[in-house]
Amino acid sequence: MRNIGKTLLIGALFASTALSAFADDKVVLTMWHNHPEWKARVEAILSKFEEQNPGIDIQLEEIAGTNYTTRLNTALAAGEAPDLFGLSPGPDTAAAAAAGYNVDLTDKLDISGLTDSAKAAVTIDGKVWSAPILGSYTVGLYYQRKVFDENGLKPPTNQSEFMALCKTLQDKGITPMIAPAQDGIIPAFLYMMMASSVLKADGFDAVRKGTRKLTDPDVVKAAYFLRDIYGCFQEGSLATPYVEGKALFALGKGAMLEGGSADYAGFLETNPKVDLGVVPFPAVDGGVPATVTGMEAPYNINAKSQHIDAAVKFLQWMVGKEPAQMVVDNITLTTTKGVLPSDNRVMKEMIQAGTSNDVRVFYELPETGGVFGAIQQNAAALFLGEMSPEDFSAALQATIKPSGT
Amino acid sequence: MADQRLQTAGLRGSPPRAAGPTRRRGPSRGQRKYGHLWFIVPGLAFFMAVMIGPAIFAVGVSLTSWSGLGKDFSFVGLQNYINALSYWPFYRAALNNLTIFISILIFQHTFGLFIAVQLNAKPKFMELYRTVLFLPVIISLVSTGFIWTLMLSSNIGFINPVLKDLHLGFLAKNWLSDPNWALPTVIVVTAWNSLGWSIVLYLAGLQNIPEELQQAAQIDGANAWQVFWRVTFPMLSPSFTSLTVLTFIGVFRAFDVVYVLTGPIGSPNFRTDVLGTLIYRSAFGGSGFNNSDVRMSFAIAMAIILFLVMTLISWGMITILRKREIDA
Repeated sequence: MRNIGKTLLIGALFASTALSAFADDKVVLTMWHNHPEWKARVEAILSKFEEQNPGIDIQLEEIAGTNYTTRLNTALAAGEAPDLFGLSPGPDTAAAAAAGYNVDLTDKLDISGLTDSAKAAVTIDGKVWSAPILGSYTVGLYYQRKVFDENGLKPPTNQSEFMALCKTLQDKGITPMIAPAQDGIIPAFLYMMMASSVLKADGFDAVRKGTRKLTDPDVVKAAYFLRDIYGCFQEGSLATPYVEGKALFALGKGAMLEGGSADYAGFLETNPKVDLGVVPFPAVDGGVPATVTGMEAPYNINAKSQHIDAAVKFLQWMVGKEPAQMVVDNITLTTTKGVLPSDNRVMKEMIQAGTSNDVRVFYELPETGGVFGAIQQNAAALFLGEMSPEDFSAALQATIKPSGT
Repeated sequence: MADQRLQTAGLRGSPPRAAGPTRRRGPSRGQRKYGHLWFIVPGLAFFMAVMIGPAIFAVGVSLTSWSGLGKDFSFVGLQNYINALSYWPFYRAALNNLTIFISILIFQHTFGLFIAVQLNAKPKFMELYRTVLFLPVIISLVSTGFIWTLMLSSNIGFINPVLKDLHLGFLAKNWLSDPNWALPTVIVVTAWNSLGWSIVLYLAGLQNIPEELQQAAQIDGANAWQVFWRVTFPMLSPSFTSLTVLTFIGVFRAFDVVYVLTGPIGSPNFRTDVLGTLIYRSAFGGSGFNNSDVRMSFAIAMAIILFLVMTLISWGMITILRKREIDA
C-alpha cells in the first residue's frame, strides 16, 4: 500500500512538471487600464490581436480612473505592476524611466507611423519609453442636439454668447451645463480651455518659457469666465462625482457638458440613443474657441516583465492601422497617421473642433505639470467667492516651472 | 539488612530508589513562570511582520525626500516633520476632525444613552430594536458612504424630493455641496453609523448595575432623575470611558465615509477635509491625471505626528476618566 502511494506521488510530480512545460508555450501579458466604461471595446481589439497571435493572451484589468494612479504607483513601488501599464506622458513617464520601472523601447518599437505630436509625447531626451496604443483625446464642448434644435438655439462661440445661452436655458427650466466638480477635474479642463482661448498655442509656449504668465491681465479673464460659469452648473455640482455627472448628461439632464472624445463611448454605454454635437469650447471674449488635446495614457512595458518580447510585439501591433481604425471608430481619436473615423459623426466633429485652436493639456508638460492640481485645489474657492480670480491665477502661476528655453 | 538499605537511602522510612530508567524531571521554575509566553510567539511574529515592521520602515521613509515614485530616498532628517507642523491645511483638517468628534461624543452620550436606558427597561420587541439599531455598525463605512451619497444627491437622491412632496421643500438643501451643510451632513452620517456602539456599550453597563442600589435609592425617596444621576450614571463610568476613547480614535482615523461622501479634496472647498483625506491626498495625489502633487514621505510624517498625538491624548483620557471611575 505504501509503495502504491509513493508511486502515485512521484507520478503526480512528473505530470505536473510536464503540464507546466506545455503551459509555458502560451504567454499571458497582464495589462491595466483606467477606463472601465471602455472594457468591451478594448477587449474586442485585444481579441483581434489574440486571433492573429495565438501564442499570446492579454489579461486586461480595468481600474476606475480616479483610483488608477494610486494603484499603479503603489504597484510600481512594490514591484507588482503588470506587464503593460499606461502612464501619463511627460513628467510621470520620465520619473518612471529614472526609477527603472519601464523598458527603453527606442530600438525595439517602430513609431514612424504615429503623428508628430504623438511621437513627441512618447519621446523623452531622444528615447522612446511608451506607445500611445489607445490614441489621444481632445476636449471641447458637447451639447444635446435635440435640446438646441427644439429651442432654436446655436452652440456658443464666446463667453458673452455662453452666458446669454445659460440664462435662456435656465428661463426654460433646462440645466445649462452639467459639471461634476467634486474632485476638481472638470474645472481644471474648463480653465485650460478658457486660458488657451486667450493664449493660443504660441502663448502657451510662452508661458512654458516664462515670457508670459497666467497672471497677465488678459489671461486673468479666463479665471473670471470660470468663476462666472459656475452659475450655469447643475444643483450640487461641487458634490457631484465625475461618473455621476457623465451619466446625468448622457441621460439628458443638462444641455451642455465639457468633455472629451474619450467620454463619448461612456455616454453610449449609459444611453445608446444619446444625440450629441461637439464644438470647441467658447472663448473668453476676444479670444479664439479652443480645445485641449492629450494622450490617452501611453503604454509602458514593465522592466520586470518576464515577457518583454511579447509585450513589444503587442505594442507594435497596436500602433498599426487596423487596431487604430478600431480605436477611432469605437473609442476615441487615434494617433496613427492616415486613420480617420469611418462612420462616427461625433469623432469627426471632435476632429473638426480641434482644428480651431488646439493646445496641449497642461499636465503633460514639465513646466505646467502642477497647474492641474492647483486648479483642482482652488476652483471651489473661486466658485464660492472665497478667492478672487487674481489670487486664483496667482496660485496657478506659482506652480509653473518655466524652462526659459 | 533492611535498616542498612534504609540508611543508604539517607531517609528513614523512605524506600530505596529502584534500579531502572531515570524519571523525567518536572518543569523548571522559569518554565512554569514564563512557559506560557511561547504560545504568543506566532501571533507576535505575525504582528511584528504586518504592523511593527512596516511602521519602522515608514518612520525611515519619513526621514527621506521620497515622493512615492522612483528611488530617490535622499535623507532630509526631520524636515518633513517641520513642514507638517507648519502646514496650515493640517490644522484645518484637524479642526474638522475635532468638530466631528465633539458632535459625535455629545450625540452618543445623550441620545445613545437615552436609547440604552429605554432598551434596558426591556420593552416589547427589544431584541428587534437592538438588532435594527446596531445594523448600521456592521455595514462597511464605504457602503455607508455610497448609500448616503445616493440619498443625499441633489440630482438623483430621494431625500430632497420627499421633503418637497411633504411640503417641506424649505428644508431641502444641497447637503454635500453647500459649504454650511457639508460638514454637518458628514457628522449626521457618522453619528448614524456609530449610534449602535453607544447603545451596546451603555446597555452592557446598565445591565451590570445591581438593581438593589437603585431600589435602595428609591426607598430613600429619590425620584427617577435623582436615581439616574446619583446612582446609575456614576456606575456607567467604565462605559463612558470606553465610548469616549473609542470615539476619539475612530473619528481621528476617519477616512472612508468622508472620501466617499465628498471626495478626495474634502469638498466643497475643504469644508469636510479631515486628516485621513489630507494624508491620503498627500501620499497618492488628488489629481488622478498626474503625480505632480504626490509627496509620500511628507504624508507619512503627518501620519506619524497624528499617531503620536492620538496616543498621548488617548492615554490622557484614559488616565483622567479612570480616576473618575474609581471615585464613582
